[in-house]
Amino acid sequence: METMTDAVFELHDGHVRLDGREILSGIDLTIREGEVVALLGANGSGKSTLVRALLGLIPLSSGRRAVFGSPKISDWGRIGYVPQRLEVGGGVPSTVREIVSSGRIARQSRFRLTSKADRAAVDRALAATGIAGLARRSASRLSGGQQQRVLIARALAGEPDVLIMDEPLAGVDAANQDALASTLAGLVAQGRTVVLVLHELGPLAPLITRSVVLDHGRVVHRGEPPEPTGACAEPGHDHLHPHAPVGAPSVWKA
Amino acid sequence: MLAYDFMRRALLAAILIGLAAPAVGTFIVQRRLALLGDGIGHIALTGVAFGLVTSTSPVLGAVIVSALGAIAIELLRTRGRTGGDVALALLFYGGLAGGVLVTNFAPGGSTSNLLAYLFGSISSVSGQDLWVIGGLVAAVLALLAVFGRELFLLCQDEEVARASGVPVRFLSMLLAVTAALTIVVAMRVVGLLLVSALMVVPVAASQQLTRGFRATAGLAMIFGVLAAVGGLAGSYQFSTGEVNISPGPAIVMVALGLFVLASLGGLLLRRRGPGRVGSGASDPLPSTEASR
Repeated sequence: METMTDAVFELHDGHVRLDGREILSGIDLTIREGEVVALLGANGSGKSTLVRALLGLIPLSSGRRAVFGSPKISDWGRIGYVPQRLEVGGGVPSTVREIVSSGRIARQSRFRLTSKADRAAVDRALAATGIAGLARRSASRLSGGQQQRVLIARALAGEPDVLIMDEPLAGVDAANQDALASTLAGLVAQGRTVVLVLHELGPLAPLITRSVVLDHGRVVHRGEPPEPTGACAEPGHDHLHPHAPVGAPSVWKA
Repeated sequence: MLAYDFMRRALLAAILIGLAAPAVGTFIVQRRLALLGDGIGHIALTGVAFGLVTSTSPVLGAVIVSALGAIAIELLRTRGRTGGDVALALLFYGGLAGGVLVTNFAPGGSTSNLLAYLFGSISSVSGQDLWVIGGLVAAVLALLAVFGRELFLLCQDEEVARASGVPVRFLSMLLAVTAALTIVVAMRVVGLLLVSALMVVPVAASQQLTRGFRATAGLAMIFGVLAAVGGLAGSYQFSTGEVNISPGPAIVMVALGLFVLASLGGLLLRRRGPGRVGSGASDPLPSTEASR
């Protein structure tokens, strides 16, 4: 495999099968340092599966994958992953700070006690996501938008070079979407690579340097985010506009 | 009651287990596997039976078989097509039936030998048993101290743990085996059928009053010791010539009593102000604007 020094993720002819069904069919994708890539597409198009395959969370049935030029990820500390979650999870109450601190794990070896630098990184992550005031609250009792920010703060606490976010805007109200966009703008300005799985670009549109549109496990569009109206990513895509009445009942009550 | 050697030993055993069981239990509950302990407890019975049949140590048999069973549960849970709850159910039945059947082959062949293991026999803890219990409890607490940070993330969000380079499979096995060890230790105190109660009930009680994981674990350990000591003392105090109260079930009832009290306490705390304690449904919070 040719190695490009600045390639963060490389996927060549990547196929993924889950339960006998082909979810990704021959994806070629390279994401370079400093890029802000949006992965767009309808529900079930394979966006989330693609990022999970890039991270090695699910195996490729065929094809080749490389992260930082190597087939195995050795330095997990460089990667921050924000999965798509309805809630922070866990059966025991956890404070916001406890959850965000757990994002340091890849930076903190097993026998090392929590240092001043660890605490400072957690403080910065809490501040960057605007939840410093909630640090001692029980995370599961926060609103959907606030819980989303807890998950993002957890990824930021590890001070990653690369951020991967799966639907970070889901369930987040307009004001918080703007806040999140400015947080991300700050991270991008520092040279971080960002991969976003999005349903629509929303306030993140100005940050995106490239977009990749998936449909039924294949890449159907690359390059500039597709026009018109920016958000309507894909033909036949059942698009719900933010200010139009939403048909399905929302699980989010921000 | 401290005048008797056997009661002093029983008390020490109760305190040790009251500390260890809820500590492991906090992680198990965090992972939403509250019934894991029950599954392992049932499997341990088969191990006890093997120990009885071969006239070796029932405790050693229980340690080996329950550790293997714990690993089997993990494998079934992650690999199998069966759901986690079905995997547990299969092992429940297999363990209990296996235990009784294997005991039939023991010298004497009476299943009444099993009763001490099913419901506990804390008053028969010997000095040597105490060393074994102490050693196992120390090992369990040490494992949790070393791996606690990683286990927290694993039990909170397995996928993110994987994406953080945490050795997910190894730690899942480690947690299951740690739970198995705890159960074998606690088997002497409350018995295999009630063993999981000491892992789960103090945690359930504690989380009525807490907002954080550390706080929950700490308070659960306090509740665990209170329940173990309270139940033991109560069964000693209220046993007369005619009525003989078993310490194991008494301990579990005290733990449940603590849960009821903690629930009432949590209700009062929540009424004072939202966000003060962690369990239950979300309160309607003011708009997120407030925090910006």
